[in-house]
Amino acid sequence: MFSDLRRDVVFPVLGAIVLFGLFLGAGAFYQGLLGGHERLVTFALIDAIIVLGIQIYVGNTGILSFGHIGFGAIAGYAFALSAISPVEKIKRVADAPFGLVDVHLDPWTSIAIAVVVVVTVAAVVGIGLARSGAESGAVSATVITLALLFVTHELARNWPDMTGGDRAGLSFRIGGALDSRVPIYIAFFGAIVVARLFAQSRMGRLAVAAREDNLAARAMGVNPLVQQMVGLLLSVGVVGVGASLRVYQKGSILPGDFFFNLTLVTLVMLIVGGRRSVTGALLGVGVITAGRELARRLGQDGFEIFGIGLDDAPLDWIFRPNLKMVFLGSAMLGFMIWRPAGLLDDWELDRWLHGKFGRRRTKPPVPLPMVAPGNSDALVVRGIDVAFGGFQALRDVSIDAGRQEVVGIIGPNGAGKTTLLNVITGLVPVDAGTVELGGVDLTGKQSFQIARHGLVRTFQNLRLFGALTVWENVEVSALVAQTTRDQPPLDVDALVAAAGLWEVRDRRARELDYGTSRRLELARAAAMSPTFLLLDEPTSGMSDTESMSMIEQVRSMAGVIGAGVVVIDHDLNFITGICDRIYCLDCGQVIAEGSPAEIQANPVVQAAYMGSSAQQ
Amino acid sequence: MAELLQNLIDGLGRGSIYALLALGVAVIFGVMHLLNFAHGELITVSGYATFWALSAGWSWYLVVPLIVAVSVVTSLVIERLAFSRVRGADDFTLLLTSFGVHFVVSAIFLLYVSASVKTFSRPGWVTNTYAVGFLRIEVFDTVVIGVTVLALVATSLLLQRTMFGLALRAAAADFDTARLMGVRSDSVIRGAFALSGVLAGIAGIFWLMRAGNTVPTAGVNPMLKGVLAALIGGLGSLRGAVLGGFVLGLAEVLLRSRLPDSLASLTEGVVFLLIALLFIFRPQGLISVAHAERV
Repeated sequence: MFSDLRRDVVFPVLGAIVLFGLFLGAGAFYQGLLGGHERLVTFALIDAIIVLGIQIYVGNTGILSFGHIGFGAIAGYAFALSAISPVEKIKRVADAPFGLVDVHLDPWTSIAIAVVVVVTVAAVVGIGLARSGAESGAVSATVITLALLFVTHELARNWPDMTGGDRAGLSFRIGGALDSRVPIYIAFFGAIVVARLFAQSRMGRLAVAAREDNLAARAMGVNPLVQQMVGLLLSVGVVGVGASLRVYQKGSILPGDFFFNLTLVTLVMLIVGGRRSVTGALLGVGVITAGRELARRLGQDGFEIFGIGLDDAPLDWIFRPNLKMVFLGSAMLGFMIWRPAGLLDDWELDRWLHGKFGRRRTKPPVPLPMVAPGNSDALVVRGIDVAFGGFQALRDVSIDAGRQEVVGIIGPNGAGKTTLLNVITGLVPVDAGTVELGGVDLTGKQSFQIARHGLVRTFQNLRLFGALTVWENVEVSALVAQTTRDQPPLDVDALVAAAGLWEVRDRRARELDYGTSRRLELARAAAMSPTFLLLDEPTSGMSDTESMSMIEQVRSMAGVIGAGVVVIDHDLNFITGICDRIYCLDCGQVIAEGSPAEIQANPVVQAAYMGSSAQQ
Repeated sequence: MAELLQNLIDGLGRGSIYALLALGVAVIFGVMHLLNFAHGELITVSGYATFWALSAGWSWYLVVPLIVAVSVVTSLVIERLAFSRVRGADDFTLLLTSFGVHFVVSAIFLLYVSASVKTFSRPGWVTNTYAVGFLRIEVFDTVVIGVTVLALVATSLLLQRTMFGLALRAAAADFDTARLMGVRSDSVIRGAFALSGVLAGIAGIFWLMRAGNTVPTAGVNPMLKGVLAALIGGLGSLRGAVLGGFVLGLAEVLLRSRLPDSLASLTEGVVFLLIALLFIFRPQGLISVAHAERV
């Protein structure tokens, strides 16, 4: 689950202890020195658990969810129905089905039941979310979460046999098992640890890669639906614990408790601190709790709490009850407009500590040795037809590539080169034809499955995981290779060094210049240890000198992993410099095949591709 | 049979309003890729304008154009103050910006007007009905359906026959290319918000006439119906949005009359569940919009 115990487990747990201490310290400071309410701190702790739960899903997958408070409602009612004594239940929900009236469990068991119930519901909802998200993008997934919030609210209001209805709700007194703050402390600390460990786990890293670029992640063998589902279940479980504690502390549950207002509050907390960071989420809880309390007091008492007595001053029109709602709404709007990433973006305390105090290799590692590729596992593409509407993009295209050669595909713009690559990597469905690798039929498989079989591509327009560092970009695909391709753990350091990226290994991918980004894309693809590297215009936008150095780059990357290469380009110097064999495409058909010299001499190719300039 | 016909007419009346709301949502989604959770706020603001105007003794004949005007102005102001600042941002930012606008608007009314319900008198004919054979038809539904058809025809002409319509459809198909072809992004986006405001204004007239009151959170329901209908129809498709509106209206009416009494109060919840099921089996909505991603 974890690739580096110190970085991924030890430091996150240490970080969690520090965060836990800081948060409690702030609470104690507020309660002790500022004379604040104990309840405010208690509820801030519970809010923090819920916000951390939401962060696990929203932060790592990048999908906005309005539905987590709906899950909270389900957990809250499940907890209440299991923990309230039959005597109380007869007063409120005497007609509850399934013999629920007689159920009376201790609070700890009730929390466990609430979590099991809500995680089960989440599993079902998650299937819909995943399908919808995969087909029509994150926006429709978000609307489904919103619909979920409303479903639970409607059910809570209109199913009085279970919930006590809109007015009465369920109120109760439960034995003292959870009365002290200790259970809240335990849950809070647990939530921090779970959130951090998930983010550092393989699952979490792949989820973040897919968040940064879904298509590129799939082309690297990641099936984002798996990570999103696991993230959702974990996240909802944590929310379930927080919701149960909230219900317990409040001593009642009403449909309105887990609806728009709590959704707003928790989302604002999440985004103000920085949704991509656990540290940020906690900072947000602190800032918003303090701000909301200030707004509430100002709304109630005007300026009196500062002892300045501007009570009847002209500012009176601002400081009115419900000011906190304006505060929360404005905070959300303001941050989205001016600082959408939040105060901390994805800064994480334990990663900072690890960077400062963790032992790291500082000297460049020994370069990787070249591996002689085997002669097995040829790529065989036969009779591909693809039509977009009435336009025949590819017609009966067949190519072969062996692992010991570099095969080029050239052709004028619109010849169908990229479409062919998209077909091979499963991004475009075929009308006819087959793609086989080492005798295995890959036609019609999804792109992540094809990548796992050993066909890994780069993209014409760069698709890096922008927020991840150079090193992490490479590591992600090494992780996939290790888990899905049964590859031995790759020396990421050595590969990064071999790609000439050692100096910039800690830079974020989005900060890199163009040529370096191209090298990183190549290194990331190589880290999958593919059978074939499929390169889509690796030199587009490069100068002649850069293109020539790309030849060395491609050779060395393919060399250290022993992969065959299929490369699309229209830079003839580059193609003839690197390829052993070339196919020429025009109007969706293969019009010539041969060695670089043969292709250059072929009159059909000259006419179609090089035009008049070649005749000189 | 009679009941089914009756449901059909009731459903069309309800669906008309949803269709107008959904079309407004879809128009903005087309040009900005923004799913506007603040769409219902146009009705909240119009609602308070209605309350104020009727309290001041205006007649409904004056209030009707007022609602449309307020809705359009609100739509443009929101665009200027909030959405114009997040153009081109990622989905997450766009969604939460509109969610934030929704909350700020309702919080302002909560803070400066009142949390309590403000009621106003409805026009007398809203509750009148007339009989056609065995059917009892509401005058209100007749007017709603008639006006909606007119509004949809007018919108369709606007989109098909005018330069603005062409620009808007081009922008909806591919915003960046449309800009390169000389479509002015500012004016097309503002035009889309104005159009969306007009549609929400017409829907708002009927919504408010039927409700006869307003509260700070009045926008939640119309927003939800509009957004869900747009999604049912297939996000990005204008035709789909209208279709989605009618489907949602019919589904609600049919369910309410068919569900056993013990479940009738759960109609809304059941509708949401059905929508969730629809998305599991047809995630792209009723009309799918091809959106190729360039690789």
